[in-house]
Amino acid sequence: MKTVSLAATASSDSASKAARIRKRYLSRSGRCALFLLLTIALLSIAAPLVTSHSPQIVSGPSLASPSLAHPLGTDELGVDLWAQLVFGGRISLIVGIATAILAGIGGGIIGIIAGYRGGLTDRLIMRLIDILLVLPDLPVMIVLAAFFGPSVVTFFVVLSAFSWVTTARIVRSRVLVLRERGYIKMAESYGAGTFYLLHRHFLPEIFPLATVGMIRLAGRAIVAEAGLSFLGLGDPTSRSWGLIMHHALSFNGIYYTDFWKWWLLSPWLALTLTVTALAILGRDLEKIADPRMEKRQC
Amino acid sequence: MQHIVKNLSEYLLTFLVILTLNFVLPRVMPGDPFLFLSSDIGEEIARFTPAQEAAYRQQYGLHRPWPQQYGIYLLRLLRGDLGYSIYYNQEVMAILLARLPWTLLLVLSAVFLSTIFGTLLGSLSAAFRDRAPDRIIYPLMITMSEIPPFLLGLVLLFVLAASMHLFPLSGAMTHFARHENIWSTLTDIAHHATLPVLTLTLVRTGAMYLLARNAMTTVLTRDYIRTARAKGLGPARILARHSLRNAMIPVITRVFLSLGGLVGSAILVENVFAYPGLGRLMRESVMVHDYPMIQGIFLMVTLFVLLANGLADLAYRRLDPRIAEKRGGRS
Amino acid sequence: MLNIENLSATFVVNGHELPAVSSVDFSLNPGERLGIIGESGCGKTTLAMAIMGLLTQAKIGGKVLMHGRNLLSLSERELRDIRWRQMAIVFQNNLEILNPVLPLAEQLTEPLRTHLRLDKQEALARVGELFNATGLDPKWLAAYPHQLSGGMRQRALIAMALACRPELLIVDEPTTSLDQANRQQVLSLLDELQGQFGFAMIMISHSLPVIRRLTDRMLTMYHGRIVEEGTTRDVIRRPLHPYTRGLINAAADLFPYKDLWGIPGEPSLATANSGCGFAPRCCQAVENCATELPELQELGNNRRIACHKGGIETILSAEAITKNYSVGGDQIKALRGISLQVRRGEVVALVGSSGSGKSTLAQILVRMVSADGGIVRFNGKPVYDHKATSTIGGMQLVGQDPVEAVSHRLTVLDAVREPLDIMAALDRAERNRTAVDCLTAVHLPTDDDFLHRTCHSLSGGQRQRVAIARSLISKPMLLIADEITAMLDPSTQAVILRELKGLQHSRGFSMLFISHDFALARKIADRVYVLDMGFIVEEGSVLDVFDNNGVSLTQSPATRKN
Repeated sequence: MKTVSLAATASSDSASKAARIRKRYLSRSGRCALFLLLTIALLSIAAPLVTSHSPQIVSGPSLASPSLAHPLGTDELGVDLWAQLVFGGRISLIVGIATAILAGIGGGIIGIIAGYRGGLTDRLIMRLIDILLVLPDLPVMIVLAAFFGPSVVTFFVVLSAFSWVTTARIVRSRVLVLRERGYIKMAESYGAGTFYLLHRHFLPEIFPLATVGMIRLAGRAIVAEAGLSFLGLGDPTSRSWGLIMHHALSFNGIYYTDFWKWWLLSPWLALTLTVTALAILGRDLEKIADPRMEKRQC
Repeated sequence: MQHIVKNLSEYLLTFLVILTLNFVLPRVMPGDPFLFLSSDIGEEIARFTPAQEAAYRQQYGLHRPWPQQYGIYLLRLLRGDLGYSIYYNQEVMAILLARLPWTLLLVLSAVFLSTIFGTLLGSLSAAFRDRAPDRIIYPLMITMSEIPPFLLGLVLLFVLAASMHLFPLSGAMTHFARHENIWSTLTDIAHHATLPVLTLTLVRTGAMYLLARNAMTTVLTRDYIRTARAKGLGPARILARHSLRNAMIPVITRVFLSLGGLVGSAILVENVFAYPGLGRLMRESVMVHDYPMIQGIFLMVTLFVLLANGLADLAYRRLDPRIAEKRGGRS
Repeated sequence: MLNIENLSATFVVNGHELPAVSSVDFSLNPGERLGIIGESGCGKTTLAMAIMGLLTQAKIGGKVLMHGRNLLSLSERELRDIRWRQMAIVFQNNLEILNPVLPLAEQLTEPLRTHLRLDKQEALARVGELFNATGLDPKWLAAYPHQLSGGMRQRALIAMALACRPELLIVDEPTTSLDQANRQQVLSLLDELQGQFGFAMIMISHSLPVIRRLTDRMLTMYHGRIVEEGTTRDVIRRPLHPYTRGLINAAADLFPYKDLWGIPGEPSLATANSGCGFAPRCCQAVENCATELPELQELGNNRRIACHKGGIETILSAEAITKNYSVGGDQIKALRGISLQVRRGEVVALVGSSGSGKSTLAQILVRMVSADGGIVRFNGKPVYDHKATSTIGGMQLVGQDPVEAVSHRLTVLDAVREPLDIMAALDRAERNRTAVDCLTAVHLPTDDDFLHRTCHSLSGGQRQRVAIARSLISKPMLLIADEITAMLDPSTQAVILRELKGLQHSRGFSMLFISHDFALARKIADRVYVLDMGFIVEEGSVLDVFDNNGVSLTQSPATRKN
């Protein structure tokens, strides 16, 4: 047994104590990120209240510069951009939340089953996960979107089908470790059933992991949807931010004029802010949830 | 030896699944493939007469039963025949091979540059952990690693290319240009490739940096580094033979693994910069529903990713002697 | 050759100062073997690192003089030059002590090629010889560290350390995580190599048998300070610091018969406040021990001790006690000039056959009977009345016969409480509470029913326990136990002795254990006096008096009789 030096124990004792205290709260950047996200969400949900124009009907001259009537100007058809932006936020919101929940919860449950059951079930699930992991997600999503037609529902199904994998893997590893803990074995020896173990011991442990995973998932889903829309594979009826950018880029004069400064930049900014805020929040929560948690490399 | 066989069979299995998926998908999607070809979705319009339709149908063997089609499909693959592109009127393989080098140029340059910069900055950060250099670089890198590549590409395109006219807006080489010598050609290529490579590199550097920083920090606290110092070895030797040699193991394996992830980013970035690689090709094919083309690209891309994963595994085994041999080793 | 002057190393963590090493000084001559002992966290490894100049995160003060040069003032480059050539270290063995991705040959030849500028072949040849010298087959040079067993890795570390023939070798815990066989081999190897190459050695260990085997001189460290120093033999036979004594008692290897007892309390973290670090666990601590730091003082004979009391104090000393009886017309010389000492916190056994005068001596010590000659001192003051036994914190006697000792009419509670009643100490309620505490300590029931039983109805064992409880109620510093288990059956005897020893250990009082039974004595005693025909015929620590077979080394007739 290695004899631990005084300094090491002492320094790690007080250092980890200090760190533990610090980590109970979101850092300043985490709080900013949260505030930003809530603002964006609020604006999107309350879209009709925030703008008087419609995101789909022409309401002004085409390619107008920003003005009081049209705070972000209009696109080549004359549709108000600010309206498009706030309504488009709804798409991102829905896609992000829906995917996160479906993939997060689904992945979590599958992970728990795989980890706890073990044996053949586990091996099958792991094999499936391995195959899905190898498949490069974007090309597959492009192919599937191409074949099944663009719609928000398709996206969300396809995205979820890919995203559950990471959560499942992380949850499974945790469950594998937990399963061997002394207190679980004691509970089993007292006759505890699977359901009891799940809701008393596993879920509270898994929940923080899954929550952080879900935030990451939401971010990736939003980016994926934007990417696909930007490529032109998006649902034409939705006015997602990616689609606004796609329309902007389809406009022939976009490179030679100044219109990109508001037409392209505003959805771009909206997307970047949302994604970055989600990422920062995710990292912060990760640190709080479990300081010992292994960092997933993205 | 056993591992190589075991791994190989796993990869083969995965590849088989992908092949099957590739085969099944176009045949189960709703609607008739040929219906789409006559639509106006996308920028290009193509129309076929019923006679041409019938001819193509015959040629693609779409009238045969599925298992037979599958057999033919596999056989063709073994010969390297990926089919015939409906839209481009050429062998799929030929088109792929023509476009592949551009994508490789982007991806390999990005990987190379991001690894070098990431490792350098990461080691620097690790050596000065929590002090001034680290405090500045770390948050910068974190932010950079989170920005989606196509967003980054867009802003670079508009600011540096459209606005400031420093770089071309699209393409891999200037159209219709005549070059006197090889240098002029290379410069032209480099000029066009700068922005896409820059985008991919910036995005990847963040992740590499974090990995290198972590790996280096861990290594620097290890006992064997202290032993090396106690032996009075020079700092250069300690860095090269002791620190880096250990820290590089996770970094190098990650480099190979990230090749796979980079493919997705490359597809988007190529489209932002209208760069004529496989990514752009993919979008074009999807726009016109050129199924053989789509399948061909998909196959090539997946094969590439599988290869990268396999190489990662191999590299890891070679680099770490603790894994290298399973028997032997008493404790 | 090596002089350490006032060395200190302080870590700063989150604004707190953690002194790992403070005011350490000692010196080492060429070829000398010095041991440093202490529990985990006492600063031994930090000290080694400081000497080697490997501490990067601590503030270091003082001087480390090697041949007159202060190593702490050298630049990193100059230090690199010296490292491994003049001084080398064998680190604590673990899986990561050697670089896992480089083969052993490279790691061992590195210092040779860096310092001695040997080329690859020469270095390899030299390293091959070293492997042979440490009992390893040179073919293992091509292997990686994880392929070697723990014992082999330890030898490889030793071989690596000796590569450049250093003048000083620091060895840090060479035998942790090794099994018994490997342990002995490594120790023999170190012994042999030191003799062969003649380097000076600093052996750091928490295990006393290792220090005992391999060192000539030793230092005890506690909370980063040196608390005792002396030649190894001397210190082990006669430890002056309570901590050293505790370490010796905790070494299972040293005492084949004596039970294992640790040191009460837990080692705590050193803080930057004043006061002796050991005070909370010390059996003889007084108020200023916690507030003032004891300096390390010279005591002659190469001994140094850091203690306000100058080491373990003597609580009882008897000098030249004589006692004669006349029976009929004859003079019986019961005691003929007996001298003995009992120190704080120790158990001294006085053994002898019946009639050797043991009980007489016991009664003289507590002044129930007066001596004809000689002086008894308790806490330095001469005993000539009952003062020592009638105060709190004095000495108490427990005799052989429980029936005699305790009145059959008193209730248990009254009997135990009696000394406090007589001394008029505390108020009634307090006295009752203390009595109940003492009864609990001797594992007697404390329910009302039992407390109000008359002693008449108790068994022999219970009654003896009541007597012991009574003797403890005045918190004595010395308990004289005169054949207390002679009239009890073996099982009760064992139980009572264990309990008593436990109490002695946790409360820290001393005990003079008088018995005719050698076997019992060697179970619980630290030192032994053998009494025969009125003389002390043998005395010494248990280590000396009983050899490994429990046979007395001087084979006097008295001991042989038993």
